[in-house]
Amino acid sequence: MLTAVKNQLRVCALSVKYNMMREMLNKVTFLTNILFMVLNNATFLVQWMILFRLKEDIGGYTMDEIMLLWGLTASSYGLSHILFAKAFSLSDLIINGKLDSYLVMPKNVLLSVITSSTSTSALGDLLYGLIIICFFCFSIQRFFLFLLFTVTGAVIITSFAVLMGSLSFWFIRAEMFGQQMLDSMINFSTYPDGIFKGTVKFMLYLVIPVGMSVYQPIHLMVHFQIGRMLAVLGYTVLLAAAAVFVFYRGLKRYSSSSLMSART
Amino acid sequence: MVIMTKVIEAENLSKTFRVKRKEKGMRGSIQAIFHPRTEEIRAVDNVSFDVEEGEILAFIGPNGAGKSTTIKMLTGILYPDGGGIKVLGIDPSKGRRQLAYKIGTVFGQKEQLWTHLTPYDNFRFFGAIYDIPDGEAEARIRELSETFELGEFINTPVRNLSLGQRIRCEIVASLIHRPQILFLDEPTIGLDPVVKENIRSLIKKMNRELHTTIFLTSHDIGDIEKLCKRIIIVNSGQVVLDDSMEHLKYHYLNKKIVELKLQEEALLPSAEGITVLKKKGGRVKMEVDTTVIKINDALRQIDAEHVEDINISNIPLENIIMEIYNTKADRS
Repeated sequence: MLTAVKNQLRVCALSVKYNMMREMLNKVTFLTNILFMVLNNATFLVQWMILFRLKEDIGGYTMDEIMLLWGLTASSYGLSHILFAKAFSLSDLIINGKLDSYLVMPKNVLLSVITSSTSTSALGDLLYGLIIICFFCFSIQRFFLFLLFTVTGAVIITSFAVLMGSLSFWFIRAEMFGQQMLDSMINFSTYPDGIFKGTVKFMLYLVIPVGMSVYQPIHLMVHFQIGRMLAVLGYTVLLAAAAVFVFYRGLKRYSSSSLMSART
Repeated sequence: MVIMTKVIEAENLSKTFRVKRKEKGMRGSIQAIFHPRTEEIRAVDNVSFDVEEGEILAFIGPNGAGKSTTIKMLTGILYPDGGGIKVLGIDPSKGRRQLAYKIGTVFGQKEQLWTHLTPYDNFRFFGAIYDIPDGEAEARIRELSETFELGEFINTPVRNLSLGQRIRCEIVASLIHRPQILFLDEPTIGLDPVVKENIRSLIKKMNRELHTTIFLTSHDIGDIEKLCKRIIIVNSGQVVLDDSMEHLKYHYLNKKIVELKLQEEALLPSAEGITVLKKKGGRVKMEVDTTVIKINDALRQIDAEHVEDINISNIPLENIIMEIYNTKADRS
């Protein structure tokens, strides 16, 4: 069992390494992609700086907390796209029958699929998050919590992407709905949760998992509470388990295709 | 006495796909939103067959006959709706990962290799997938690269290889774990005749030296004729013929093609069982049905004094297979 897990992790690590090698083929594009993503994220903070000159508190957040919010959103989004980028195009793989080559391998299908590509600009997102925590909101406890919540956030985003992508096993054109849900997850995670009330807030915890991937971790980095942290960890495990369950249920409905395709 | 082991057993295998149907045009698209219509297509319908260890089997049929669907069920990619499969004693839908260690697959239309990596790096990756220790993987890569003559380009990125070189690498990648059965789905598609011949001789060599069972689907009659000893023909999801190549030829080769080069004044042979297919000047092509007239009787009908050249040949296998496809299609 332990050897099987070790071998699976070895294949995933090799997959990520080879993905990175592919991205590095063009050095200039690789570096500019990272740099421009850092700059792109930084420009959004300017508008918040202007807003905070007009008002001290927005939705219960100060400028420091907004920076934490942006940093954590960027780093968890970045980590999920560095390691599991293919989870975000799962629909395409299902609809166009591109899972065949993963299904004939003696490894975990879901892990093999989602680790089979990476995104260079996501490195910029991760780097941006680390710059924020190290240079603007640093404390030892906060730094380690930031790292932990980057991982839980990445797992939550990836699991949500897998859940949305897996809808394509059942519904044609589900990819549009899934993409909209993922986009709204990213959009909501860049605003303080205090500005949302009632049904929207309810949705952000139960339908779109922003509450547990970003909002609760931000509150925990400001005021630590062990109970809340365990809730975030538990939620992460549950959502990941749900994603795995739904994917494998859907896989039984997979119908492949005869389209020509290549691993790119 | 040699005891043959069955490595593949398929019994009453069935698979149905549900396909959306819509009327043409915008109106049809709008109708489909409110009243979606689906239709069930039976891609594989009660298919049963066995494959013995070490066989090279051709599994052929026209497009949409159910070949690829059957292969995908045998390899664990698709779940069957009905019937049972045992591949090396394993049910692919239950023991997909366990089976994957024992079989290899090459889909001519779907690449498994990373295009930015060299074949060598790809093979190392496949070695890791099949849990082969580094030293052993190295030895196997060396051995296979010699067998498949990859020496010249083993360190060239896959995207820079020709199609033939790439297919050779695909086959090697699928052999790295020494599979007992190799599923080849149109391995020579898009290749030129020289490369095709090369791939065929490598497949033969692999079967001979490594005793790998080969399950081949191909539209290329050359692949079938030169590689396979047994043939299964499927059409409309059903097995319409399961026979040895030798028997197929003997059974269906009851017609001979006689090509003659005659002097202008020669008379054309005429008898029951002889059909003139083409006549241009002194060149005549005719078909002799040997169930109606013996070939030597047919030859006696020819005005021998005026014959400049004669050639007698069997009907090409391609025509036989097309005839089988058509006969079965007419019946259905």
